[in-house]
Amino acid sequence: MLLFLQTTINGLVLGGIYSLAAVGFSLIFGVIGIVNLTHGIFVIAGAYMAMALFAAAGVDPLLAIPLIGAVLFAVGYAYQRTIIDWAISRASVEASLVVTFGMAMVFRNLLQLWFGPDVQTITPSYSFDSVAIGPIRVDMVRLAALGASMALLTGLTLMLARTHFGRAMRAVAQQPLAASLSGLNVRRIHGLTFGVSAALAGASGAIIGIVQPFSASSEVAWTLNAFIVVVLGGIGSPAGALAGGLVLGLINAYTATYVSPALTQAMMFLVLVLMLLLRPQGILGAAYGESR
Amino acid sequence: MTRPLALLLLAAAAVATALLPQALSPFHIRVLQFFFFAAATAVAWNILGGYAGYWSFGHTVSIGIGAFSAAHFGLIFGHGAGPAGMILPVLAGGAIAGLFALVIAYPLLRLRGTYFAIAMLGVGQVVAELANNLPVFQGGIGLFLPSPVPDGMAPERFYYYAFAALLALCLVISWAVKRSKFGYALLAIREDEDTAQMLGVATERYKIAAFVLSATLVGLLGAVYGYSLGYFTTPSVFRLDFSLNMIVFALIGGIGTLFGPVIGAALLLFLTNVLLSGFLDIHLMITGALVVAVILLMPGGILRAGATLPWKRRAKKEASG
Repeated sequence: MLLFLQTTINGLVLGGIYSLAAVGFSLIFGVIGIVNLTHGIFVIAGAYMAMALFAAAGVDPLLAIPLIGAVLFAVGYAYQRTIIDWAISRASVEASLVVTFGMAMVFRNLLQLWFGPDVQTITPSYSFDSVAIGPIRVDMVRLAALGASMALLTGLTLMLARTHFGRAMRAVAQQPLAASLSGLNVRRIHGLTFGVSAALAGASGAIIGIVQPFSASSEVAWTLNAFIVVVLGGIGSPAGALAGGLVLGLINAYTATYVSPALTQAMMFLVLVLMLLLRPQGILGAAYGESR
Repeated sequence: MTRPLALLLLAAAAVATALLPQALSPFHIRVLQFFFFAAATAVAWNILGGYAGYWSFGHTVSIGIGAFSAAHFGLIFGHGAGPAGMILPVLAGGAIAGLFALVIAYPLLRLRGTYFAIAMLGVGQVVAELANNLPVFQGGIGLFLPSPVPDGMAPERFYYYAFAALLALCLVISWAVKRSKFGYALLAIREDEDTAQMLGVATERYKIAAFVLSATLVGLLGAVYGYSLGYFTTPSVFRLDFSLNMIVFALIGGIGTLFGPVIGAALLLFLTNVLLSGFLDIHLMITGALVVAVILLMPGGILRAGATLPWKRRAKKEASG
């Protein structure tokens, strides 16, 4: 029973991080309708930036999130306005899949040249502390990571629901043509969506850096995770990402504890395929489903 | 092109391929050997990705399964000696890769476009992880295949001819598929699957057949590739860059064309192995940048570049409108 509770807690904590790492991917999928295979790169880039800041100036990765987010927001915006926009307008949405795959390779190579191919970790001062809730122990880093993830997801939800920009984003997602007729600059909104997505991915990267080891080649795994989370939870909304992320985290934790740590990826993938076959719209359904 | 001329060209190509190793250094023979292997995988990928429009981002799974199956076949039934000894294990590699495709085809081919592409990426990752972590498959410690090269022959020459023959096989099969009813059904699926189905094309069956055929060919290639390595572990055959190469070669040469994948492979391998051999650490970047450039500048690939270059398209648009 204790093991089950501990596993559940671990899974939920992991799930919170998965949710944050996937929410940007979900946003782009929902609003622009493309699958961004560069997403994992933004996650890992965030982790590397946090590592560099921690090594150079001793900045805590969680406090570095605003800076990392700002830099990646600019990168994401520029990336969409140039390469992604060219790919969509000149070729097709499927071509954009290949373009983002190609760009992921370019970026991965750059990260490898810059930081080397080794597996890295970030160890802040509180790495080895843990909190006890009764007989259950939770690592301090994981708790901090979960707290930061939830704060950012809440922020995004509020932004989508309450601000002008959030409303504009939802309008563009539902009906690009109608949105542009109402005076919204659709291309600019697309660029900003990419920026927000990259910033959130970078923030999740900083958090992942203190919880798990990472390297440039782990970007594929994070892109795949994001895809699985979105398929599980439903496209386009923070709530869907949260649901999908928590389910994925639980699957991961239960499989590692009760089946075998070697089979977590296989189990996650099995659930993905079952989900695609049985309920392709995800647990919560697509946020902008009617329009697509 | 008239038929006699085409046959003459084919014969000339065959003779040139047969004689070329006499004039080349072992290094260049090895480059060509890899070219034949890579081009053949791209031709096989093209049967599913190019003709039917189902882009698999994880086709390396068949290379890995082919190599692993050949090695395990040898462990169970004994390795044969000499070139004849590799025939059965290689066939087993192809058969098991095809069987695996048959098993996953039914659920996966219900997905379309991006979903199928990424599901295959996942299949590649998961099978690699299983092969690496489950002790039964021995992917972590590695597997051996005995050298089938006959005495007195240089290994690179042996594999040069082996892969050249397999490339020819893939091209013949791809050609036969393209001009058959099967091929037309695949094209119909690529252009508009729902309409094709409505018009009575058995889309499900054709898609599965294309997937299994493609995987079987890649499995055969993977098994021979395993032999050419001699000793391999999971990461040496389940390679993400192999998956990518198949897409990229087909894309650069001209997706859905017979010779496009071969031309793409020739161009890209020449570029990376010969011109840029001094910059090994940026190969990934060059490949990625080329893919992006090709998609943006000529989405139809080199064989169709005439019609799709941006300025040509603009001219056409002006002429028609």
